[in-house]
This record gives sequence, C-alpha cells and structure tokens, in this order.
Amino acid sequence: MNMMQVMQSVVWAVLLWPCLVSLGVPLECKDEQGSIILCASISKEKLLDRVIQHAELIYRVSEESCTLFEEMFVPFPMRSQRNQAGYTCATKAFPIPGSKSEIQQISDKWLLHSVLILVQSWIEPLVYLQTTLDRYDDAPDTLLKKTKWVSEKLLSLEQGVVVLIRKMLDDDMLTTSYYEQGVAPYALQPEVLESVLRDYTLLSCFKKDAHKMETFLKLLKCRQTDKYSCFLH
Amino acid sequence: MLCFSLSQPRGKHKLNYTQFHPISKFVPSPHPRGLHISPNERFDPHHRWSHILCLVLCSSPCYFVSLLLYPSVQAPHLTGCKSREQETFRCWWSPGSFQNLTEPGALQIQYWKKNDLTKEWKECPDYSSSVKNECFFNKNNTVIWIKYCVRLHSESQNKTYDTLCFELQDIVHPDPPVALNWTLLNISRSGLNYDIMASWEPPPSADVSVGWLTLVYEVQYRRRNSSHWKVLEHEFGTQQSIYGLQTGEAYEVRVHCAMRAFNHFGEFSDVIFVHVPEIPNKESTFPVTLVLIFGAVGVAILLMLIIFSQQQRLMVILLPPVPAPKIKGIDPALLKNGKLDELNFILSGAGMGALHSYPPDLYQDVPWVEFIELDADEPEPGEKDNQSSDSQRLLGHNNHHTNHGCFHGLSIPDDDSGRASSYDPELPDQETLMLMAALLSCQPNKVEPCLGNCSHSSTPSLDVLEVPCPGLQAPDLPPEGGERHLVQTQLGGPQSWVNMDFYAQVSDVTPTGGVVLSPGQQVGAPENTPTTKKDKKGKMEGGEEESEEEEERRTNKLKFQLLVVAPEAGGYTTESSGRQMSTPDPSSPGEVYHTFPPPSAESKPHQEAYLPATTLLGDYQSPYILPDSPPAQFLPPVSDYTVVQDVDFQHSLLLNPPSPQRSPTCSPQPPSKPLPVMPIGYLTPDLLGNLSP
Repeated sequence: MNMMQVMQSVVWAVLLWPCLVSLGVPLECKDEQGSIILCASISKEKLLDRVIQHAELIYRVSEESCTLFEEMFVPFPMRSQRNQAGYTCATKAFPIPGSKSEIQQISDKWLLHSVLILVQSWIEPLVYLQTTLDRYDDAPDTLLKKTKWVSEKLLSLEQGVVVLIRKMLDDDMLTTSYYEQGVAPYALQPEVLESVLRDYTLLSCFKKDAHKMETFLKLLKCRQTDKYSCFLH
Repeated sequence: MLCFSLSQPRGKHKLNYTQFHPISKFVPSPHPRGLHISPNERFDPHHRWSHILCLVLCSSPCYFVSLLLYPSVQAPHLTGCKSREQETFRCWWSPGSFQNLTEPGALQIQYWKKNDLTKEWKECPDYSSSVKNECFFNKNNTVIWIKYCVRLHSESQNKTYDTLCFELQDIVHPDPPVALNWTLLNISRSGLNYDIMASWEPPPSADVSVGWLTLVYEVQYRRRNSSHWKVLEHEFGTQQSIYGLQTGEAYEVRVHCAMRAFNHFGEFSDVIFVHVPEIPNKESTFPVTLVLIFGAVGVAILLMLIIFSQQQRLMVILLPPVPAPKIKGIDPALLKNGKLDELNFILSGAGMGALHSYPPDLYQDVPWVEFIELDADEPEPGEKDNQSSDSQRLLGHNNHHTNHGCFHGLSIPDDDSGRASSYDPELPDQETLMLMAALLSCQPNKVEPCLGNCSHSSTPSLDVLEVPCPGLQAPDLPPEGGERHLVQTQLGGPQSWVNMDFYAQVSDVTPTGGVVLSPGQQVGAPENTPTTKKDKKGKMEGGEEESEEEEERRTNKLKFQLLVVAPEAGGYTTESSGRQMSTPDPSSPGEVYHTFPPPSAESKPHQEAYLPATTLLGDYQSPYILPDSPPAQFLPPVSDYTVVQDVDFQHSLLLNPPSPQRSPTCSPQPPSKPLPVMPIGYLTPDLLGNLSP
C-alpha cells in the first residue's frame, strides 16, 4: 500500500510538475523513513490550502458514498434516521466542543491535533469497510471506487496534517500511522440488515467526522489570514 | 378502517412509536425499538410505493367515506426542524385536528442531546412569540455534530406524538443569497442571442468568511411566461454566466444555496428580470453579397479587356520568344553567310568594344621568360562538365584556322616543342584537347576544358596555361590565376591568325622543372608539339620528359599531328614522328596525316617510352586531335600545328588538305574553302554539313 502510494505520488509529481513548482511540494513528504522525498519547502499557507482541499474532497466523496449506500442497501424506513434515536459513532478519546463559539475558542494546536486524531482513527475502519463492501453482491462500482479513494486520500491527509503540525506548532513528536492489514472484527454475512445498518452507520459517522475535519481546518485557515474577525462571533 | 390506516401511514407509525427510551442506545436489531415495521415491509424498499398505490386505488371511495364518517383527523406532529446558519435552529409542529390539543400549552416540545448529562427531556428553551408553534434554539443551546432528539409531548396525557432526531449540520437550509444582479456579457453578431453574467452575494447570516459554512449555489432561470425552470449546474462561486438568451424575451432568474454536500437547498432568492431589447440589424447581408458579386464580375470583365487589348504584349511577357543565337555585338547576318573576314575583324576586338576587351596585341614583342609553376589546381567544375564531342569542338576551330600560336600545349606533356609559356604538362588530356581547340580559335574566351573525364585531381588545372592568344593576359599572370581566360570556348569566333604569334618557344628547362620560354615566331606559325595523354605518371617522369620535350619542341616546329587516341594505343605521336610528319611541304599532306593506332616506326621508341603513361588513360576515347598546320601557305618556318581541315570517313581528322593527287583518298574538302587561305577557323554550319562523319 505504501509503495502504491509512493508510486502514485511520484506519478502525480511528475505530471503536475509545473503546478508543483508554482504551488509547492505535494503533501506526500516522508522525510523520516528515507522514502521518496518530494518536499523541498512549502509555505505554511500553501500546505494548509492543500490540506483543506483534501478535507473538502474527502467530505464530499464520503457524502456521496453514504447516499449511494443508502439508496442501494438501506430500507426506506431507516433512511435518514429521522425517527430514530440515532446511532452512536465511536467515541473519541477526547471531547469535541459542539457549539460554534466554543469551537472558535479552541487553540490552533488543539484543532490540528484533533484533526490528526480523527484522521488516524478512521484509517482502519475505512479499510474494513472496503473489505465488507467487496462482499456485497451488487455493490455498485462507483461506491467501491469512492470508498477506496477516500481511504487513500485519508492517508495523504494524515501526512499533510503531520507536516502541518510540524511546521505550525514545531511539534516533531508525531509519526504517521502505518497501516496494517487487520482482521475484520465482524464476520457477519453481508446484506443482513445488521451488517447493512452497521455499514451505514459507519459511513454516516465518517461523513460527520469528515465534516468536522473540514470545519476545523477552515477555522484554522481563517485564523491564519485574519485573526481578529475569526474570533469575533 | 383500512383506508383510514392506509391514508395515514405516518400517523400510524407515530402512534406506535411509544416505546422509545431516550437513554437506550440504538442496537441494530431486526426490530429497532420505537419503530414499528411490519415484517413484510422490513425488507421491501418499495413498500412506500405499495402504500401510494393503495392510496390511489382506495382514495376516492374510501376517502369520501372516511371524510363523511371521520372528519380529517390528524395527530399532532412535528413538521420539521431547520437551521439557517448552523448556529441556531427552529422546530415547528402542528397540533393536528385533535380537538383537545389545540389550546396552547397542551403540547410541548422536548428535546435532549446526546451528550447531556442528565439524560432527560428538556423543555423547549424558547417558544417563539411571533410564529405559532415554533420552538427556537439559540446559540447556547445549539451544538453541532451531536445528535438532537426533539419530541412533541403532551404532558397531560403523557403522550408523545412525534419525535425527530437529527444533527445540526444535517438540517441546515441556508438563507437565500442576496443582491442578485446581472450584467450583459455579449450579444451575438446576428443580434439574436446574448449572454449574461448573474452575480449575487452569500446570505448574510451564513458565516462563509470564517469557513463555518461552505455554500454551493444553484441558479435557475426561465422565460417569463414559461412554467419550467431551467436549472444550471451547481456553482461554488458567487457568479454564474447564462448563455443563449434571446433578445426581446423577458427572463426570470433566481438562485438558492445549500450547504455543500448536504443538498438541502434553502429558499430561493428574489427573482430578477432580464431583458435585452432587440437590436435592429444595421446592415443586412444581402446587399453586401450583391456588392461582392458585382465587384467580382466587374473585375473579371476588366481583366478580360486588358487581356484582349494587350494580347501581343502579354504573349511576349508570358511566353517570351526563344532568342536566336547571336553573339553580342555581332550582327547575326554576318554569321550566316560566311562573311568570316569581317567577323574575324570584329571579334578580334578591333571592332566594337562590346566584345571582349582584350588589348589587341600583347605578346608579339614581349620576351617570354618566365617560370611556370605547376599547381595542382582543380579545374573549375563548370568547365569540366562539358562533354561535347571533341571532334565537334575541334571542328569548330578547324580549317579556317591557321593555328598560329593559339594552340598551346595545354596539357601536352611531351613533344612540346614550341609550346607556349606557362604550359602545364599536367593537364589532363581532355582539357588539353579543349585548350587546343580553343587555342586554335585563338579566342580569349573560355573553353570547356574537359572533353572526357576530367576528374584528375592531381592534374593541374588549365589555369597554368597561358595562351598567348591575342588579348591574353600578361605573362606574369600566376598560373592558377590564369584560369579560364586562357581557355576559350570554341564558340569564340574565328580569330585572325595572321600576323599573330600566340606561342612562345620553350627555350630552356630549368632543373627544377621550370620552363623558360622565348618569344615565338613572328609569323604566326603556331608551334605545336604532338600531344599525348598525360597523367600523373607522365609528370613523374618529369625531368627527363621535360628535357625531351623541350628538345622536341625546339626541333619540331612544324608539325601538327592528328592523334586519335585509341585505348590500346599510346595515342600520341612522339617528337620523332612529329618531326617526321612535319614537313613543310604542303604537297605531301598525306604524311602529315596520322591516325592512330598505326604509329610511325620511328616514333615507336619514343612511343614506348610514353606508352605506359598514355595507356593509363585509356578509358576515354576522346580523339585527341592536334590540328595540323597547313604549312605552306603561311609559314616559311616551322609550324607545329595544323588546322584540322576535314574529317574523313574514318573519323580521322585531315590536318592538311590533301593534294589534288591524293584527293581521292581523302575526304572531300569543304568546297567553299579555298585552301591557300588559311581559314579563320570558324566552321559554319553549312560547311560542317559538308563534312562527312
């Protein structure tokens, strides 16, 4: 997977060379492992823009995947879960404030760290989701492609956030997570309602967390450009 | 009852939705708590359609019956919850048609959040005063990414009529954009269509700048009287261009926005009207095309007129006549009828100055002592390429010549008695042949030096030769600079040979190989030596050859020999044979006439000496012609060269006109030519025709 990632990044680097020259270096910048070093130097602003782009894209694709899955597999009464108490997404290790005012008061460091934790917590479940979706008989190709794409982009987002943290917070203590192919925790048969709902829950929760990531990063960006107005509301 | 239940499926579901416990987690199970789903509905995504179908089928009779029996009964329910800016939200409910619940306060909105500590339903924080049945949650009570559940509850009856769960970001319906405006982009050339750019601003309530909300916009437009809105693609920016509107039509444009990726579009903005009046055509295309057509026709007519009126001139311009051959400054009439004397006069330069402006006499009294430097210049390529036959060349210079002096041993390697100064023994034979021809004519024109294969790089060019023809350069001309003016075309008209001395004798040969020349004879007896083919090898034999040649030159002043070079033969006549042949007696022209292969016996020793040299050049067959001088008429002293008088049937050249007693054996002479008079060397076409090939 890493090799693929590296290859992909190299190909993209070659193809987008003029863009890269003007915009900077792609996010895939692994200095510590002696792998392909594509980073020369990228400014914080450009890196942040790039990371935000990633987050936005991930969010959009996750929303599309959720909708696709809902249409295909989830029975009608259960859609949108309007009338249900709701599912519980996996709780995170840290509480995330809910209101906008509270969130705006969160420090930069906290924002970045929470983004990183969110990203890292979703890498493995998405891989699991991919394997589960493969077992569905009539899963549409687009759905599979989207989930695959999302899990890949999540990795690059993680790397970008790590670099961002290093640049903005001078925090060198973080390491990127290494994906290991884990055993699927649930071995239920696909297309049983339970598994369907579970997968649906997974997708919905991921969509929510993707939205969180995007929002945090955008708040961060706002602070970079105009600190005063960002704290005003 | 069936119709009633069918017509109100939602209420039915809600009525059964009583077992929900707010604290309990949702555990995926076939029958989720609080949601009654009939078994056959559970796995059937299309059960809604069956509902509708049944509704349709049963609606009319059942509905009216139910209406009669039961006035429309509708339970209280939540109509919806919406947020405008993701910071607050509102919920609305409807009390329904239940009679006992219409009074205010009978129904309450209760809610709870997932992260509440108490896990209890709370009362709506703010029942809005302005709008009926609305509950407003302000900023302090609003959290994002956390599940809310709102229920419609009746305390008195302790009954929940409806519940709704959501998260804040899922219920965002942004306000409509403001300041919608349009600007004209362009109008098509026909004036029928135009494009506009519609622009707007995000709703003020949405905090887009901070990034709290990311909006996507959708523009719709339609014709004034149409009912169908055309929807354009979602746009992330705040402007959108609309193409292809028609002038004269009124359009309506509106826009609404939604949170990105949630697709809950808010309300539409106010409609703006777009109208562009028709622009009358300033010009119609019809006259333009008419003008163009008329213009083209007029131009065509004009051209025709010009052509017809100026036909002659045009013909001359387009198809110029082939010029008749002529020599500059010479009347072509002269050339026709054999007025050779006049022609010669003219060509000698004494006539018009348009001819080659050589000073007429140069060499006559100039002592010629010079050293020839033999350079291996390559002859000019242009002159090498001339491959016309040698006989023709020579014949062009033939009989009418007296070959005084104009014939220098151009590349006559040996037997060059009487060779002119600056003679280059290295010249290839073809070149020498050419040169000889040129010299015969004694014209200061150029001659194509090569009759055959002239690619001997080692052989010096003709430059070295300085033919002291009249009008030639000074003796001090550097050999390589001598170039082609020495070599003259055979087209150069005949030259008067009389009283011209074109040649100089080689009086001595220096040890280094230089040739010392002495002035030639006063009488224009061209001195010549029989030539032979010469190549490198000949040059290599240089020294002794030189001495030999010089000696021969000295001695053999008379004879021109005609050498027809055959590949097997050496193709040259030695000095001795030349001597032998060079009798001043015109009465024995036959002896003068030699054609190879049969060389004379005396010449054999010499021939053998030179044979190897000559046989190397055996690949070309160009007859190597030495003009033979008709001795008696002009030259009391020795003359080495002879004018080719004729060509006999064997393709051999007759150097001297045969004596009358020998005439039968010789080819007929050109009838128009008096023998005693040395012909000028210009062979007119009619004369040539008399020569049998």
